[in-house]
Amino acid sequence: MPITITQLNTDEVLRYMGCPPDKAGATLRLQVDSCAQELLQAIRPRWNYRVVEITLAPEGVALEGGLLLPGEDLKAHLAGCGRAAVFCATLGAETDAIIRRTERLDMAKALTLDCCASAAVEAVCDRIEEELQGKFPGCSFPFRYSPGYGDLPLEVQGPLLDLLDAPRRVGLCAASSHLLTPRKSVTAILGMADGKIEEKKRSCLGCPAQDSCQYRKAGGHCGIS
Amino acid sequence: MEFRELLRGPGPVILDGGMGTMLQAKGLKLGEHPELAALEHPDWLLDIHRAYVEAGTRILCANTFGANREKLKRTGKTVEEVIPPSIAIAREAAAGRALVALDLGPAGQLLEPTGTLDFETAVDIFAQQVRCAVSAGVDLVMIETMTDLQECRAALLAVKENSDLPVLVSLTYEERGRTFLGHSPACAALTLEGMGADAIGINCSLGPREMPALVEELTRWTNLPISVKPNAGLPDPGGAGYDITADEFAAAMADLTELGVKCYGGCCGTTPEYIAKLCSALEGRTIREVPRRVPVAVCSPVCAVPIDRVRVIGERINPTGKKRMKEALLRDDVDYMLGQALEQTQAGADILDVNVGLPEIDEAGMMIKVVKALQGVTDAPLQLDSTRPEVLEGALRVYCGKAIVNSVNGDEETLEAILPLVKKYGAAVVGLTLDQKGIPKSVQARMEIAQRILNKALDYGIRKEDVYIDCLTLTVSAEQEAASQTLEALRRVKGELGLKTVLGVSNISFGLPARPLVNQNFLTMAMTCGLDLPIINPNLEAMMAAVRCYHLLMNIDTEARDYIAAYGNATVSTSITAGAAQTAAPAGERTLDRIVAAGLKGEVPAATKKLLETMDAMAVVDDVLIPALDRVGADFEAGKVFLPQLIQAAGAAQAAFEVIRERLSAQPRGQKGPKGAIVLATVKGDIHDIGKNIVKVLLENYGYPVIDLGKDVEPAAVVEAAKRHAAPLVGLSALMTTTLGSMETTIRLLQEAAIPCKVVVGGAVLTAEYAKKIGADFYAKDAKESVDVARQVIG
Repeated sequence: MPITITQLNTDEVLRYMGCPPDKAGATLRLQVDSCAQELLQAIRPRWNYRVVEITLAPEGVALEGGLLLPGEDLKAHLAGCGRAAVFCATLGAETDAIIRRTERLDMAKALTLDCCASAAVEAVCDRIEEELQGKFPGCSFPFRYSPGYGDLPLEVQGPLLDLLDAPRRVGLCAASSHLLTPRKSVTAILGMADGKIEEKKRSCLGCPAQDSCQYRKAGGHCGIS
Repeated sequence: MEFRELLRGPGPVILDGGMGTMLQAKGLKLGEHPELAALEHPDWLLDIHRAYVEAGTRILCANTFGANREKLKRTGKTVEEVIPPSIAIAREAAAGRALVALDLGPAGQLLEPTGTLDFETAVDIFAQQVRCAVSAGVDLVMIETMTDLQECRAALLAVKENSDLPVLVSLTYEERGRTFLGHSPACAALTLEGMGADAIGINCSLGPREMPALVEELTRWTNLPISVKPNAGLPDPGGAGYDITADEFAAAMADLTELGVKCYGGCCGTTPEYIAKLCSALEGRTIREVPRRVPVAVCSPVCAVPIDRVRVIGERINPTGKKRMKEALLRDDVDYMLGQALEQTQAGADILDVNVGLPEIDEAGMMIKVVKALQGVTDAPLQLDSTRPEVLEGALRVYCGKAIVNSVNGDEETLEAILPLVKKYGAAVVGLTLDQKGIPKSVQARMEIAQRILNKALDYGIRKEDVYIDCLTLTVSAEQEAASQTLEALRRVKGELGLKTVLGVSNISFGLPARPLVNQNFLTMAMTCGLDLPIINPNLEAMMAAVRCYHLLMNIDTEARDYIAAYGNATVSTSITAGAAQTAAPAGERTLDRIVAAGLKGEVPAATKKLLETMDAMAVVDDVLIPALDRVGADFEAGKVFLPQLIQAAGAAQAAFEVIRERLSAQPRGQKGPKGAIVLATVKGDIHDIGKNIVKVLLENYGYPVIDLGKDVEPAAVVEAAKRHAAPLVGLSALMTTTLGSMETTIRLLQEAAIPCKVVVGGAVLTAEYAKKIGADFYAKDAKESVDVARQVIG
């Protein structure tokens, strides 16, 4: 199931770039659109998922196979879910290389490409969510939740990638500081409940960056958390 | 029978099949570590290995794929605890009927530049496994499922430096014929054969039906035996299943005998049944002898450059006679060199020469740094240019691909010091036709030196086609008869010795007027004498035009495609006006300050040059550029413009500074004392450095020399740089909460070392309060504030 993204939301890219969409002139918008096309031609999104049973343990969420995702926030988020689809997505190492190369030639373009890539990986995740929701009709799904949201630590990246066989399947690894490499990548947990559950809104409250968030300062929202 | 004998013998070599999927079938639970099977489920492991031997396997891979210290960290076990019993179980199952291989899989973290794992650390991780396996006793090493050619190199070096075991190296490719990192079979073949692999191949990822195209590609680029170990078809996402049966697998694999494949096995999803059926399917088949015609070539991990036509080597990354490059080397300004690299490849260079030799700097350290950085941004193969063996070895170790070593000469001592390195790292080598007595005048004497270099290279096991000869260009204004001798020597080296030839062209015209005329004509003459690799400045259109015309006229550029692509829309001036001074570009309507504020980088150089006709360089900086930047900065603070416009203005200003800097290094008078250098780093563990790079551009705009240490920087390296450059200000960035700890450590080390500098920090998750808490002097919320801090600290 290869995922191809053909368009990006220009306003979202502008917000990532620190520019409120209503303040962006035509030239800047054109630049974003042309970078978006250049990037979308170059990326090869890859992803993998696995559905696991989950149990809510006192210290966090326990996945089938024993992996514990510690903290209170994910536990609250997954209330009512008996299973979860764990997934990962990456735009691949070549995306990093394109941005790295462009930084040496034109920093403004590099920033634009970088922000397009952030928007693209989120778009890939949206498509994965749709795909998974289609596979499990009748289920309800709270929004996807990633390490780094709320009190879910980044330290779980490595074990989540192992669970997904991600290094081999999609070429995605965690560095020793638990950052994902290639850079434009995501791991996420998509809860699945057999019946209806209370709808949850994404909010900035659980985000570690809330006090200093550049997107909020620019009058917007990162689109992630 | 030994592995190398099996490879030489007739008939296929049968490998084993999947291990992980077999362990799961035995009952290995989700979350259990397959690496520990020898300790936790020795009976299962023995059963699986035995079943493969029964099925016909002649090479068993011990269950050591993930048994490296990185991956074992989570299990609490050590390499020394896991590898010996894993090998012992395989050996027991083999019972003399199969060889046992140490299986080396990826380290589990990505190497630089995509990841943070350092090359030498990777070598060390694999070396530990190899040493452990050597003492446990194995017959060969199988390096498998690699997606990064650099990681393959690390593993292969570890094997070569710690054993004399035979080694098979196998990468895993996607359907588009590249690895996840974009590395190609051609580049893997050139690189790994050069470094002494015994066989190379393809495993995992795809099924047998996707193999033929990849195998054909490999056979075009290597003479080594080829191994194929595909999955049982393509995997279902979300599950563990694969899509083809044992019969289909065996039939598709048996067809690969037609392509000359030597070793056959299976990867994920294959079982002893697949291997048994594979053996039956191969029975009675003979492996077709496919003639291989591997071209002479060099490569990076993604780009193979066959020397089947004139290939241009860009000469610009070399401080000789280049003030601006010297300055960049003295200031550790690697970015400048990267810019030079990209400019040359855009102009048409196929290969880049890299020379960083300056007496004032640590050439070996700088060479490693520059080679790594260059390979992060350019796909062009590199020519590593130094006369010092320790510099060349450092560069060859970290260079991913097949490089050219520039150079050796006829001097015995040089040959003995450098040729073993060329052999070990699988490079090509340039031999200069000179020796301790100097450059011989006669053509015959140059031929003799070339022959001597070739013989010595052959003695060291270097292939003839990897020896390129440079017959040396002498300045025609000093010795007018020398040019024709160089050309004659070149013709004979090419014709009589059958070697590829290299020549630095630009020297020819030194001291003459209208140098491009001489250079271009000499280049054309040399190409008609058989020059393969001119070392030139590709940014000079006349030189690239000579190469394109040569290809056109010699019927190498089929249907004139390249020529038309280059000149289809061009208006070419054919005259050089004698004595005419360079006229200034027509002045635009806009003034430089407006152009900078609007971020119109393309218009900057002309406008700057125009202004410099009437204004002093420093006045342009102080009265035009800085005020323009200040206005953009003030608008940014006021929310009238935003980050993209700020960066565009900064980029435009940078282009203006580059013009001014050239002017200043041409006439060094009138320069102000330089401002104190600012050391910038993205802290250890963090690889998100675009913010730091933006800060760098802005600071440089304001005239602050910046020492950029890059990303994932050790705290000690920051201290060292701050001390060495007597930096009044250090800027640190971190994006993630997990790397803020590194930031704190770095600040603490700076304080403990009593470095008299201020520290400014920035990054998405930082706040002013947190900055204060970890001991930073300043917090900058954006790039503009970093400049304000620099002004406050330095002035």
